[in-house]
Amino acid sequence: MTDQSVAKAIVDPDHLPIWDDPREALYHRVTIELDKCDGCRLCVVVCPANLLELFGPKDNLKARLKADATGCMSCNNCYAVCAGQGIYATEPYDFAGYYEQKAIGAFAPPRKF
Amino acid sequence: MSETLDLEDLEDLDDLEDLDCDLEVGTTRSERTALRRSTVHDIEPGADWNDVEHAILTRRSIRKFKGRQPPAHMIRRILEMGRFAPSQGNCQPWSFVVVRDKAMIAEMEAYGVAVCKGMTASIDYTNYAEGTEQRSAILSSTQELNRQNPNSFHPVPMTAIKAIANGRFAVFHKAPTVILILVDRRGVGVPEVDVGVVGTNIVLAAQSLGLGTCWVGFSRLLSSNAALLEKLGVAPPFEIAEAICVGYPIGNPTQQTIARQTHQITWWEDGEKQVLF
Repeated sequence: MTDQSVAKAIVDPDHLPIWDDPREALYHRVTIELDKCDGCRLCVVVCPANLLELFGPKDNLKARLKADATGCMSCNNCYAVCAGQGIYATEPYDFAGYYEQKAIGAFAPPRKF
Repeated sequence: MSETLDLEDLEDLDDLEDLDCDLEVGTTRSERTALRRSTVHDIEPGADWNDVEHAILTRRSIRKFKGRQPPAHMIRRILEMGRFAPSQGNCQPWSFVVVRDKAMIAEMEAYGVAVCKGMTASIDYTNYAEGTEQRSAILSSTQELNRQNPNSFHPVPMTAIKAIANGRFAVFHKAPTVILILVDRRGVGVPEVDVGVVGTNIVLAAQSLGLGTCWVGFSRLLSSNAALLEKLGVAPPFEIAEAICVGYPIGNPTQQTIARQTHQITWWEDGEKQVLF
């Protein structure tokens, strides 16, 4: 995981994040459980930010994040289509300064009240 | 037998509530009250999702569509759900442009891509390495634009603009049907909010019928092309507010509901304030 503490350290509310600086723009906190991945490629197809790719030998393909990937917005489309439930966003994206996420809590599935 | 009602006889609001339903001619007031109490009741805590809740929870923004065109009657049907949306002052400040013509969608897409290419070239400092003069020049002007219009230059749409310019992403997601929602600028209050409510009806109705949808805010980029607007039939007082792409989703994006962030709820009750998530 990237240094969230660094991003939160910038307290100036007018500060606008530098989008390619990982200390100020935190993207792609995605977990992929490789033992649940069967290489079906659906997550690669549906990812709106085009962040995923397959790797490995042809008979044992697995999904992973591209090396230069940026722009995951924690939409969890990958999880929604994954038959093995092996890929999911673990934290919302976040930025420093003006765009810092506020009043946002942990991920939760639909809760019945 | 006719029944008259003196409002002064009503003891509390519960009595008033009894008046508002079951308009069957010929029933007495007490019969109507008994019927209402037998059919309207609160759900139990933890009850299963009903159909509307299920549609809400399984809806995903779909950005990869099959080539098959949804039948016209289904599009008419989901637009009909939009027509019954609430609006401020019941002013209904919207109209629709439905584009199911491949050539027309391609033209809209091409213009959107051109705009994104222009924007990327002029404001995307990440095209240049750190420490270069070009980068610092563009960075300062981008940050100034950002200050003036912070919502449009949020890092997420900026990333999408770059991806569109590089051909990694499409404005209208190659959808077979694109619904442009136009806003009547003369609407009561904040007409853009009404457009959001209409679109939500449309999107949820589509979900319940097995169609995938995606909101496209970038559709507003088309507003800078007068020729295209004329061709589409968009004229004042109407403006493009949003677009919704419609088609059959690739994969099975409804097989599981996802986890989403929780949000702060400040809850006032009985003179006490709680903060919930």
